Amino acid sequence: MTTTKVPLERKVLSENDRLAAALREEFARHGIHCLNLISSPGSGKTALLERTLAAFDPARRVAVLTGDIQTDADARRLARYGFPVRQITTAGACHLDARMVAKALEGWDLAQLDLLFIENVGNLVCPTSYDLGEAAKVVLLSVAEGEEKPLKYPGIFFKSKLMVLTKTDLLPYVPFRLEDAIANARTIQPDIEILQVSNTTGEGLDQWMEWIERRS
Amino acid sequence: MHELGIANSILEAVETEMRPHPGARPVKIGVTVGALSGVDRDSLAFCFQAIVKGTPLEALALEVHDAPADELELTCLELEEPEP
Repeated sequence: MTTTKVPLERKVLSENDRLAAALREEFARHGIHCLNLISSPGSGKTALLERTLAAFDPARRVAVLTGDIQTDADARRLARYGFPVRQITTAGACHLDARMVAKALEGWDLAQLDLLFIENVGNLVCPTSYDLGEAAKVVLLSVAEGEEKPLKYPGIFFKSKLMVLTKTDLLPYVPFRLEDAIANARTIQPDIEILQVSNTTGEGLDQWMEWIERRS
Repeated sequence: MHELGIANSILEAVETEMRPHPGARPVKIGVTVGALSGVDRDSLAFCFQAIVKGTPLEALALEVHDAPADELELTCLELEEPEP
């Protein structure tokens, strides 16, 4: 027997990356700005998207893909605003991958869109590894969680362009130290942009809407 | 979490790489797992062992290398080929 070493030097998820690159090319061809929203369950991804869709002009060419392990509850919530919405149920998988996104986009005329939100499965770990062809990842952190989360789950804060601190209306009632959360996020990623939003009072939504438009 | 899916992707890559080497036996697959990759190396090792157990790839060793950032890469496949 002889031993052979085959150098590989490629990513473990190269198949996902290949599909994501194809999606990114397609989004670019149609001028679609795609944002991948990631957070723990219950941080307010769907609520932020509800507020966002409600604020858009009905003629805005926007669509949403929303991922969950089970149920189409989020798609039903989001469909009320009159924009195209599709639910991806992963049936157990803790994240979306590029293949699921490509499949969910089938039948949509991408030429009619210029903004696409992907609401990932609520999870701060697994979605981090899977490129979906997005222009940027956006991580949400609610003040009802802990300010040390960027340190505990560094991967997603490292890869996100923007951190949205949500539920800021609760700040008077929770022991969350805003300055520490911001410092922790910047420890992981000095260039991360940070916004503060309350989906309940609407505070900070203008800045979020501006951020979206600036990028698209 | 998703380490099972990652372990599956590694095995698929091994199977693909073995195709041009009929009769050979894969011995070791090297993977670099970065500290910010979102992948837990112990959990990955556990999942990997679980899915190769009882298969022709049972003896395949997974060698995990540390890295500082979000690396998740295959480095090298070691295989034994019969003498020509």
